[in-house]
Amino acid sequence: MNKEVESFLKEFIEVIRECEKFCFMSRGKEFQQEAVKKLTTFKQKVTSLKEQMIKVKDEDSANTMLSLENLIDAMINELKMWIALKEDNPNKAWDFLINAQSAVRTAAQAHSIAIDLNAEGYANKLHLLEKLLFPPQMFFSHGLIIEKAECSICGKEYGECEHIVGKAYMGKMCKIITKIKKMKEVSIVEEPANKHARMLQFTDEGVTRDFMTWRRIEKR
Amino acid sequence: MLKVSHSIDVRKRAQELGCNIPTSIALLPRNFEISASKEELIHESTTPTVRVLWRQNGITETPLEQPEEKFPFVSEHAFEWIGPTIFISAMLLSQNPHLMTIALNVISNYLTEWFRGIPRDSRKVKLRIITETKSGLYKKIEYEGPPDGLKDLPEIIREVHNE
Repeated sequence: MNKEVESFLKEFIEVIRECEKFCFMSRGKEFQQEAVKKLTTFKQKVTSLKEQMIKVKDEDSANTMLSLENLIDAMINELKMWIALKEDNPNKAWDFLINAQSAVRTAAQAHSIAIDLNAEGYANKLHLLEKLLFPPQMFFSHGLIIEKAECSICGKEYGECEHIVGKAYMGKMCKIITKIKKMKEVSIVEEPANKHARMLQFTDEGVTRDFMTWRRIEKR
Repeated sequence: MLKVSHSIDVRKRAQELGCNIPTSIALLPRNFEISASKEELIHESTTPTVRVLWRQNGITETPLEQPEEKFPFVSEHAFEWIGPTIFISAMLLSQNPHLMTIALNVISNYLTEWFRGIPRDSRKVKLRIITETKSGLYKKIEYEGPPDGLKDLPEIIREVHNE
């Protein structure tokens, strides 16, 4: 491992340990807000070192930094979830939780350093929080017919280049940019790829309610 | 979950549709068995990824598409990983059985990384294999379960082939 990244890792672990103690419902909101600020500032340092590694073409270090950057993102989002719950905004809290889950996954895919730092344990914790803090959700998933898919790394037709979706290349995750031919269907599913796509409100016997809070939504 | 059932004659079907006839190993579109014409064929969203993985590992497939031809693919935004239907010919199984094992191991190894950061209980794979028995029948093996279970598929394919 690059010497600079190695010494930075020690600082990273210190900051994470300092902030993770506020990732509980019972902690004071002001401490959680402070932790978000601290992590947001620290993330800039991570991003800057990642860019430095990209410049010197040290791919392993750039991917390590991408992984750390996402672990920080996950913790920022978890803290924001606790804050949103305290502010009586569970819909916002849900979005923060899903962002945190997604960031942990990216961190784990980007580099094995995340696995060494217990990303799998963190992913399990976030999954448990989803089941314990929120009622079961109703998700939507769309089926699309894709005509053309472009690789986010090199811009070539995906499948014709050598990049693979879900892997990191020089500090960036490979994604597929698609050109949609047509929408096939929209279905209700239990386990969607995108947990942001969920039912927000429903109407039963003339009463419209928020699916998350059960509160009545008055018609305008 | 594992299910073995009879399948259509892959070569005959490819010929009917005007596609390349697979000789050793191939990735079949999801609606290969029921499509009315070649124009309706749709690949799984994971097909291009498997193609790259195989290419990088020296596995040569027979694309069903003619040169310069492209089938669209479906994207369903499901949480599970839905793999393409893989056709493995009797010729490959008798002459280069290790290639079938490599082809499946490459996918299995990729999925180990793909599912990182997802709780174990939520990791789910769907994969279909169509193969030929020694007596010339076509059999379909459908696997649905955790990615770890893929490691047992080569042995199951060999057993089905020897039926």
